[in-house]
Amino acid sequence: MATDDPPSHNWLDLPREIATTILLKLGAVEILTTAQRVCTSWRSICADPAMWRSIDMRNTGDLSGMDHDLVAMCRHAVDRSHGGCVDINIEYFGTDELLKYTTDRCNHIRRLRLVCCNNISDEGLCEAATKLPLLEVLELSYCSFSKEALETIGQCCPLLKSFKLNSQGYRYTHMECDDEAQAIAKNMHGLRHLQLFGNKMTNEGLKAILDSCPHLEHLDLRRCFNVNIGGNLGKRCTEQIKDLRRPYDPTDDYEFDATIHDEESFDDDYPSGFSDIDFSDYDNYYEFSDYDDYSVYGFLYD
Amino acid sequence: MSSSSSSSSPSCPKKMITLKSSDGETFEIEEIAALQSKTLESMIDENCASTPVPLPNITGKILAKVVEYCTKHAEVGADAESLRAWDAEFVSVDHPTLFDYILAANFLEIPTLLNLACQSVADMVKGKTPDEIHKIFNIKSTFTPEEEEELRRENQWAFD
Repeated sequence: MATDDPPSHNWLDLPREIATTILLKLGAVEILTTAQRVCTSWRSICADPAMWRSIDMRNTGDLSGMDHDLVAMCRHAVDRSHGGCVDINIEYFGTDELLKYTTDRCNHIRRLRLVCCNNISDEGLCEAATKLPLLEVLELSYCSFSKEALETIGQCCPLLKSFKLNSQGYRYTHMECDDEAQAIAKNMHGLRHLQLFGNKMTNEGLKAILDSCPHLEHLDLRRCFNVNIGGNLGKRCTEQIKDLRRPYDPTDDYEFDATIHDEESFDDDYPSGFSDIDFSDYDNYYEFSDYDDYSVYGFLYD
Repeated sequence: MSSSSSSSSPSCPKKMITLKSSDGETFEIEEIAALQSKTLESMIDENCASTPVPLPNITGKILAKVVEYCTKHAEVGADAESLRAWDAEFVSVDHPTLFDYILAANFLEIPTLLNLACQSVADMVKGKTPDEIHKIFNIKSTFTPEEEEELRRENQWAFD
């Protein structure tokens, strides 16, 4: 055998859709800054609107240390999708204008994820909701939208099947609030999956959700310290919900930092910052922590 | 002993199917493990899997590993954490093997294996410069000067 046989594998020989799958896993920032600069083949794949059906703007969150204007980059990604974007993830840098830019151009968005988007207002989100009639999967984690915004979303997005509304867990025994739970119960009847990590709701809120969301199969109530799942309510949960996470269940597979803030450490009503939220585990981006039914994401593989 | 009937009685031995690689090696795989391959699943449904299934695109070396993967992932009661560790170990292989895993998973339509192998490749690309990527994957930059210029102009999101 010759000792300098050509390699049996040429990475550029991979079928285009597989190369697309691989490059998609890099996230939009790396696709634009690196992948499209490697060779003409990758550049061609990165220019294809098919690549931009899913826009994942994950980043380290260190915006001041970043070389790039993420808002401009995201607009560019939306442009590249030619209106075909169905799935978009925005972390740390969203604005009302960007959200409007996206929803004005992309009419078939089915999944929206906003994490730590403190510059997106209730009005901005509500206006966007009116252009998201096909929305099926929504995450609003570590943002601070009002219950009115949640109501509007529920009313505008009848196909919503999955909702994540995660917050910092607080052991404020006197800070109870069922507003969000009630908004969900009244307006999001089609939910199959609900994650309310760190929510301040009580058993009343939980009951309202159980009463109003008959299709609910997955319910994550970790760090909801005002909920007491014992007795009949616990029994009802176990009967109705296939996959239940209770308030004190382990959080090792939770995507974000699960640090609890206790009453004693705060004077303020609201968290002082998100510096200890760890976004470095991106592996779970397309998966819920234990949500094995990928049929919800069927559209991503079309 | 083994029965060819399709009884679902629990006392029935496990149904196996036989796969034949491009270089003539045969491998037995439990039907339940084979169902992770959409290609094999439809063959089983259409009763085409009773004789050895020829897989001319896949060598024995790779097919053995694919069978191992499917068998492992068909086990019941597997701990998620240890399965993840097993998967990580499974894709800690040289580039040619990883490349072949991808092609085999694509041909046999095994979405979990395809995703695992593609993620492994993506992890090699993450955080690297184009030059580093050229070296790792033995790819050449093929841009014309005009294309390089276009790339530079497109970079309007970069802070100067």
